[in-house]
Amino acid sequence: MTTADQFNVHYLKKHYAKRQVLDEVTFSLQAGQTHLLSGDNGAGKTTLLRILAGLEKPDSIQIDLGMGPLNWRHVKKTLQQHALYLHQHPYMFDGTVNYNLGYAIGAKLTKRERQRQIDKALEWADLKQLSQAPAKSLSGGEKQRVSLARAWLKRPSILLLDEPTSNLDQESRHRTLSLLEAFKSNGTAMLLASHDPMHFPSLIDQHLRLDQGKLIRIDNQNLIEFDQTHPNFRSTA
Amino acid sequence: MLESLPQPNTDHMDSLTTTTLAALELLFSGNSELWEIIAISFRVSGVAILVASPPALLVAFILAYYQFPGRRLLISINSTLLSVPAVVVGLTLFILLSRQGPLGEWKLLFTQTAMVLGQIALAFPILVAMGHSALQACDRRAWETARTLGATPLRALITIMREARFGLMAALLAAFGRIIAEVGASMMLGGNILHYTRNIPTAIALESSKGEFAQGIALGLVLLILAFTLNAFLQHFQGKGQPA
Repeated sequence: MTTADQFNVHYLKKHYAKRQVLDEVTFSLQAGQTHLLSGDNGAGKTTLLRILAGLEKPDSIQIDLGMGPLNWRHVKKTLQQHALYLHQHPYMFDGTVNYNLGYAIGAKLTKRERQRQIDKALEWADLKQLSQAPAKSLSGGEKQRVSLARAWLKRPSILLLDEPTSNLDQESRHRTLSLLEAFKSNGTAMLLASHDPMHFPSLIDQHLRLDQGKLIRIDNQNLIEFDQTHPNFRSTA
Repeated sequence: MLESLPQPNTDHMDSLTTTTLAALELLFSGNSELWEIIAISFRVSGVAILVASPPALLVAFILAYYQFPGRRLLISINSTLLSVPAVVVGLTLFILLSRQGPLGEWKLLFTQTAMVLGQIALAFPILVAMGHSALQACDRRAWETARTLGATPLRALITIMREARFGLMAALLAAFGRIIAEVGASMMLGGNILHYTRNIPTAIALESSKGEFAQGIALGLVLLILAFTLNAFLQHFQGKGQPA
């Protein structure tokens, strides 16, 4: 967090060609809270997450740093220090699960201490039996858990998740959700892009919706109403 | 009927077999002159690859991962350089390094350093072109994952190189194969001086012109064995890297 518990983003703008994807987007993320980011395909959800991860340059952005105006290089550095972005389909480096987890640990630690941390992460994500498996050959759900375990080792203030449960079966979705709950209870702020709020019933604190470049806040009441219009909601009601 | 058909020239076949056997004998008898030529070849081409690879692969990475004005033009120029004959590269450097040339004061002409420079010029576009293809084929999420996990740009770059290692190794082998077998630039820049700048291809050219085919074939065999060994090594390495 750039301040103790809150991360504020102001006037975030981004355009591609003649299309304004993000138009003066302003919002705050709070420690230990999960913000759902919804929107139609191409609404700019992934772009927003990637900008916050420092992976894409916006046209303009202001973040609260308690300092004067900074150029993008400084903002990017700060974002990369605080935020961690998880792809919709996590990338696994060529190597074992053990190697992939070790990548998230700084090189300063001793070999023994590194392995101790890796073992903790393997246990946390229930991946112990897969530690020597080639990471590229894992199932989608297992890759998602490796990806979350890497994030857990980094301990970011902000976790940016892009459709973390898409294409996962029910069991994998369940396991992913319980790991996300653990992040939440550790005080990590999460911004979670998804088409489907129904997948995260107990996780979401606030619902933000991107519509034609503008960010609309939807209060909890509206979130429930929104859910009620969902086909899954109706089918289970 | 059969007698009217042209018969294979058994004299030539015999001659080739005899020459090849003589070449093998020469190769394995430890002929010091022959092995010195081989050593010069490997030294010059090895140094050229070692010097050319880091900047060439960095250029390949920049072309693969960054968008900037003139990028496409640079790729086109590099692809064009792939088809420049070795002798033209040799001639250009010869003019630059000759006594009257702009770099004449360096007194590099007819030295191994001049041969290295020529081979760097030949290897560079191959390394850039093949390195660019290998890195472009590498999933962009690899770079982003490395960066978001806190890797410095240098560590992320090393990670990408590791992910694309088979393609990059193929680029290195292709470039090495090209320069160790080229004759034009080495002849012009090295001068084919015995014990100093005579390498495998220039020695083959000289021995053949003198009618000493056994030595020419022996050196040709060395190149073939080298090509086979390098490719076998790459195949073995790639096989090990296949996901289970």
